[in-house]
Amino acid sequence: MLKADNSLGIIFFPAFDWAISPTHPEREERLLYTQDQLREEGLFDVEGIDEYKPLVAGVDDVERVHFCFPEVSSVATRSHMVSAGGAMRAADLVLSGEKERAFAMVRPPGHHAMKVVHGSRGFCNINIEAVMLEYIREKYGPKRVAIVDTDCHHGDGTQDVYWHDPDTLFISVHQDGRTLYPGTGFPNELGGPQARGRNLNIPLPPGTSDDGFLEVMEQVVMPILDDFNPDLIINSAGQDNHFTDPITNMNLSAQGYARMNAMLKPDIAVLEGGYAIQGALPYVNLGICMAMAGMDFSGIREPDFTPDAVRQDPRIVKYISEMCASFPELYFNPPPFDGSEKSRDGVISGGWFVRHKDIYYDVDGITEAQTEMVRQCNDCRGLLKIETRSTNNPLCLGVEIPQGACDTCRDEGYRLLEESQLKGGYRYIQFVNRRDNEHVRHGF
Amino acid sequence: MLLGIDVGGTHTDAVALAERGGCMETAASCKVPTDHDDLLGSVTAALRKVLEDVDPATVTRLNLSTTLSTNAIVEGKVEDVGVFVSAGPGIDPHHFMPCRHFFALDGYVDHRGNEIRALRPNQVEKAVNECREHGIRVFAAVGKFSTRHPRHEKLMRRAICACKDENACDLADFVTMGHELGGTLNFPRRVATAYFNCAVWRVYNDFAAAVERSLADIGLGHVHVNVLKADGGTMPLEQSKLMPVQSIFSGPAASVMGIVALCDIVHDSVILDIGGTTTDIAVFAAGAPLVEREGIDIGSHPTLVRALKVRSIGMGGDSAISVLGDEVRVGPNRLGPSACNGGERPTLTDALNMVGESSLGDVEASRRAMEAYGDAHSIPAETLAERAVEYASRTIHEQTRKLVEEINAKPVYTIHELLEGKQVVPRKVYLMGGPAESMRMPLFSRFKLSVEVPSDYSVANAIGAALTRTTWDLELFADTERNVMFIPSLSYRENIPSSYTLEDAKRDALNQLTMHLDNMGVSLDKGEAQITHASSFNMVKDFTMAGRNIRVQCQVRPGVTRKMGSV
Repeated sequence: MLKADNSLGIIFFPAFDWAISPTHPEREERLLYTQDQLREEGLFDVEGIDEYKPLVAGVDDVERVHFCFPEVSSVATRSHMVSAGGAMRAADLVLSGEKERAFAMVRPPGHHAMKVVHGSRGFCNINIEAVMLEYIREKYGPKRVAIVDTDCHHGDGTQDVYWHDPDTLFISVHQDGRTLYPGTGFPNELGGPQARGRNLNIPLPPGTSDDGFLEVMEQVVMPILDDFNPDLIINSAGQDNHFTDPITNMNLSAQGYARMNAMLKPDIAVLEGGYAIQGALPYVNLGICMAMAGMDFSGIREPDFTPDAVRQDPRIVKYISEMCASFPELYFNPPPFDGSEKSRDGVISGGWFVRHKDIYYDVDGITEAQTEMVRQCNDCRGLLKIETRSTNNPLCLGVEIPQGACDTCRDEGYRLLEESQLKGGYRYIQFVNRRDNEHVRHGF
Repeated sequence: MLLGIDVGGTHTDAVALAERGGCMETAASCKVPTDHDDLLGSVTAALRKVLEDVDPATVTRLNLSTTLSTNAIVEGKVEDVGVFVSAGPGIDPHHFMPCRHFFALDGYVDHRGNEIRALRPNQVEKAVNECREHGIRVFAAVGKFSTRHPRHEKLMRRAICACKDENACDLADFVTMGHELGGTLNFPRRVATAYFNCAVWRVYNDFAAAVERSLADIGLGHVHVNVLKADGGTMPLEQSKLMPVQSIFSGPAASVMGIVALCDIVHDSVILDIGGTTTDIAVFAAGAPLVEREGIDIGSHPTLVRALKVRSIGMGGDSAISVLGDEVRVGPNRLGPSACNGGERPTLTDALNMVGESSLGDVEASRRAMEAYGDAHSIPAETLAERAVEYASRTIHEQTRKLVEEINAKPVYTIHELLEGKQVVPRKVYLMGGPAESMRMPLFSRFKLSVEVPSDYSVANAIGAALTRTTWDLELFADTERNVMFIPSLSYRENIPSSYTLEDAKRDALNQLTMHLDNMGVSLDKGEAQITHASSFNMVKDFTMAGRNIRVQCQVRPGVTRKMGSV
């Protein structure tokens, strides 16, 4: 009888009754062949590997992370709540000690969903990793966590949610934003003034294959993780770097994915994108499961695989080697926060960090303009205030008192809430006090 | 007149049931000891005893539940099998190697049923020759994803036995092809199931032939014989000769079906069969027994053999009482018969005698044994007995709750099922087995649910065997992009138009199921065949629809043909 070296919980939730639209890549069939492959391989009969039902996330779980306007139920459907609940179940399995590791193979994905949500961007409505992580911190106490995003697209949502959080190291490895949606994710995006170097972007050129990815993992990601020494490592396991993916241009194979995962050894992995549902997902998912369980995955090979399909151009090899040499500096010695008008990283004004952002929601065709403000505080992460308006909603306000906030930030948060309610001018107000677990919604 | 025989571990039970006024009644019944070295002898002895009161000419059907295949596997009385697999990439198939003559051949079929890499004829031939040199006569041919496309299994079969006629061959006596075992996707289980099917094939077929001969001797040559399966259904004897593996572990199923015949079960319920050494727990949802999700384990090998979900725990009438520190325990071991039946160590039955719930055997002996054991552990005999009964009922209750929790935790794959999903909440408990009557009150106070003990429960297993209906299930896969429809268990493949829909698939599945049973001489009542799963996925290529991927499962669900009348 085959036995896994590491016990692994798999939350498999293919949402066979949900799609963005009938021919959209994010549709019912997406995990069908993965299910066929995992079942036919007999993966769930391996000793130590078990399958679990997802939880269903509640409104509070989402509001712990997002300001949803006008409200959670209008931006997140039931499928999103189940998908986030799947990730939460994975977290419970690992943190309760029931399993050593867990993989939430759920859909729809979430890593393009930012702090403020007016609709769907890049097939994502709520950020399932962030909902999971804040659920962990609420239930199991503060944790230092590293999120490594290996989806081919820049995890701009996760970057936005954790921009100011020094306890969350976010590393996104993705296809260069100059050649792919969402067009961001450059090395100079390093985090807010109090979390410099806690947000790292590693853009790779189109055509990067197994060797390139593994070099980046070995030379850049692993040494940084060793230094950061997180309590938990989370992998946003998007699978669209695969050489057969229809909407990207990378050349990673199932073997490459499995080897990358074996090196990273994430405690929890969460499925993100990946739309080569027949030729890639069944094999990549199998590879990730086996790597996480510590099993020998060398026998996995896609039907279309040839060594030529994943051979790297010598120019790419050279480019990546040079990059690997210069990247660790960004974490170990990040350039200080600039704060000048022309840096576009935001300014410090009157004791507050202030930055303006324009955000486009490609799936729903919504344009948002927001002003994000963080109170510069020496005793805690600082009170967060966001004013936002979009083509869907008039001016709205979000206020968050962070976990572990100081008394001053908390009092200031309540003062802001009171003032904005009295003064009016906001259609909806969402207020979250993470310190005392209080949620206030106003204007519905 | 219907006959039912259940060959159990200690007894072989037989009943003859006659119809009166639309219900069945017991016309004769008997218990004879099981002789493990001569199961045929036990069967004929039971039959002869029953036929003392019954005219053989009036018998129309005999349903038989036997431990033959199970014993053959447990005792290692199996034959060497040549196992050929075409696995393709993935988990190394050698992890699932069931026996010595195992050949992993080069070949690769993907999850859609596309052949990515063909078998190599000379590699297959070499494997076949090697088996022949070792005198191997039975073979299993199994391919990964053969339930989508059985090409490799068919090629292997042709290489093993070159002749066209399925029955006679100089080179091989029997070949099991994996896809014939059903459409479930699970390659390791398919390998194990095909292996066991071959391993017990000869010993089972010898037995079946002997049974047929001795039936003719007793004057029952005209009777239609069915064999019980672990899923609470039967298969015709002819069919069982090709699928002997399906006859294993049918004992617990016979008991469960007995309860179905004796009681009118409509709610979510728990069935407890309290035997000598174990208690079997089964769960019913809305009146129907639950079947294992994938299949049962034979030894350490998970298989595709469908079975009723039955949990056995080491708690029965003969389970020994022990004292550990302050705690009084019962089971899980049996250290001999109860004191009331001449044993030494007091048991659950003795405790029940002591507290006055029962008066089985020598009640005085129970008292003496309890007192002696109580003295040795400085516990008054009454307290010891009370706490033993309490421990037994608590254990049964806890294990039942755990089983129900497990059932309710089963993964689901649609939002609808997850949010609206049905949960099993038992509303009633049915008790059977030796100590059933005496455990009724203790279990009632634990479960706080209505607890019913049906009459006739001592031969309920044989009654269940007699009345169980023939069941069958099949899976249908259709791929309108490739224009094929395939039913693995029937090896049936048909070309379909691109316009083929889910409704067409459901209709075809039910028709094929009905036709197949008809060929086996079983006619179905309307509504007995039901669709258990139906899905249709649009397959999209470059943002336009390329076809539909349709999956349908249907079955004749386990049940009894007739109910017992109120006795």
